[in-house]
Amino acid sequence: MKLLVAVKRVVDYNVKVRVKSDKTGVETAGVKMSMNPFDEIAVEEAVRLKEKGVASEIVAVSIGVSQAQETIRTALAMGADRGVLVETDVAVEPLAVAKVLKALAEKEGAQIVVLGKQAIDDDMNATGQMLAALLGWPQGTFASKVEIADGTATVTREIDGGLETVALALPAVITADLRLNEPRYASLPNIMKARKKSIDMLKPEDLGVDVTPRLTTLSVSEPPVRKAGIKVPDVATLIEKLRNEAKVI
Amino acid sequence: MDFRFTEDQLMMAETARKLLADTATSAQLRTMLANGMARDDARWTKIVETGLTLTMLPEDAGGLGLTEADFVLIAEAAGYAALPEPLVESAGIAAPLLAAIAPAHEVLGDPAATIAIGHAINPYVADADTAAALLLHHDGATYLRRPDEVRLIREESLDPFRRLFKVEWEPSGEPLSAAPDLWSDALDRGALFMAAQCAGLAQRAIDIAVDYAKTREQFGKPIGAYQAVKHLLATAQVQVEFAKPVVHAAAIGLAQRDVFSRARISHAKIVAAEAADLATRTALQVHGAMGYSWEVDVHFLLKRALALNTAWGGPGFHRERVLARLRAAPAGPEYGFAHAGMEA
Repeated sequence: MKLLVAVKRVVDYNVKVRVKSDKTGVETAGVKMSMNPFDEIAVEEAVRLKEKGVASEIVAVSIGVSQAQETIRTALAMGADRGVLVETDVAVEPLAVAKVLKALAEKEGAQIVVLGKQAIDDDMNATGQMLAALLGWPQGTFASKVEIADGTATVTREIDGGLETVALALPAVITADLRLNEPRYASLPNIMKARKKSIDMLKPEDLGVDVTPRLTTLSVSEPPVRKAGIKVPDVATLIEKLRNEAKVI
Repeated sequence: MDFRFTEDQLMMAETARKLLADTATSAQLRTMLANGMARDDARWTKIVETGLTLTMLPEDAGGLGLTEADFVLIAEAAGYAALPEPLVESAGIAAPLLAAIAPAHEVLGDPAATIAIGHAINPYVADADTAAALLLHHDGATYLRRPDEVRLIREESLDPFRRLFKVEWEPSGEPLSAAPDLWSDALDRGALFMAAQCAGLAQRAIDIAVDYAKTREQFGKPIGAYQAVKHLLATAQVQVEFAKPVVHAAAIGLAQRDVFSRARISHAKIVAAEAADLATRTALQVHGAMGYSWEVDVHFLLKRALALNTAWGGPGFHRERVLARLRAAPAGPEYGFAHAGMEA
């Protein structure tokens, strides 16, 4: 069984992002970039499925600039077998990514596509769901546990009310939540082996996908600065302020 | 000469940094101290699983066959994390020495085993009690002893994480090797990787101080907004930035094994130790009175910087080696990467 795992190059989670002075986006020049942490979890899950004998091959896919090869290389060092970079300088949106992944999933004959539940740069939380819709496959989003047996993926999902378990007939799309696993560190021998693994370079047009943006960003700004709180002398004053100033009760 | 690190080297260093950032947190280090632990087994297991202990071993000894240029960034990461375990001393200095003598030695077969090394330039042997074997120097020859074959006397280090031992032993029997050149290589690696650790811990001290300066407010502004504070930190960062390329160049050239490469290693040790000294003292200053307290981690780095300054040769020893190079051949920008056999 072939697994496709999507990995996105994002600003490292340790970096405090800054809005560009012209408010068109966030500053990425000279900023440390890494694999989206939820995608790391997705890669780890794919590798574990291969180690269990469920998967036979893991293909790591990224869509973006040439430097995204480094992100794919990280996935290869974690245990993916080969990579595909769909290279474009366009800032791709979830729908475009979903279309590219659909084309690749069909081309590769993948049975499962594993993604992070969302990327930490735009927090869209949309690609996995869009991909499932485009493919017409069942989806197990926010997965905290995945078991594959007899052509069915049993996925435990983290939802607002607790946990929900769904059974998906393969092929299926799974998106990884934070508690699905703890990603391994790429070992030094595997980093060296990853250099010898292949990364196929494609363009969106090779897959017949138009990645032209459909959304227009009007402006990007910092969140408003939080005002300092105040101390109230007693509960009665607190309730009075909540009722008359904050007007929340 | 291409001084850029390869993607592999950078990825290995990133792995080391990430692993150590996750596993050598302030709370974990303090737990070790509180419980008198010599080693955090969980952390060491991850270090071993990641292959960091195999970096410098040749492939015929079961290692990765990498070089000092590959390990130097890992040593920096160890310095940044103030790593208590002897990864650098064992995997970076002692293991290559033993592999050069006996690549099939059983101690090298266990990637989790550590090797302590007793060079004549260091009065004490670090982490001798937890080592599977000790490599000891006597008249240029190399002897291997197990900890239970020698008498270990614990010596206090100003760095609370350094476990130093005076080793009492008799150089009886056949040495493992009589070749003194091997100890010269070990000294070069020792000085180089101490320099790399100094560069790493200097950066950590600045990072801690910058974080503090951004959040600690005085007169309604973060103290980092005041020139008196920001210039202190900028000066320390400049010194670190100037030290790192010297350390990296020394790592790339170590294999030359001549008066020039040794001078570059000594130069690296001097400037990295100076950067660590300035950065840690600056961090202390920026923290004000807090900097002196046990609760702030700066003192760990300050003490490590002081300890590493004299480990594998103090400033005086290394200045002598730089002087030897200046006496051996012309100096100047065009001789920055000189090597033996180069036309003057």
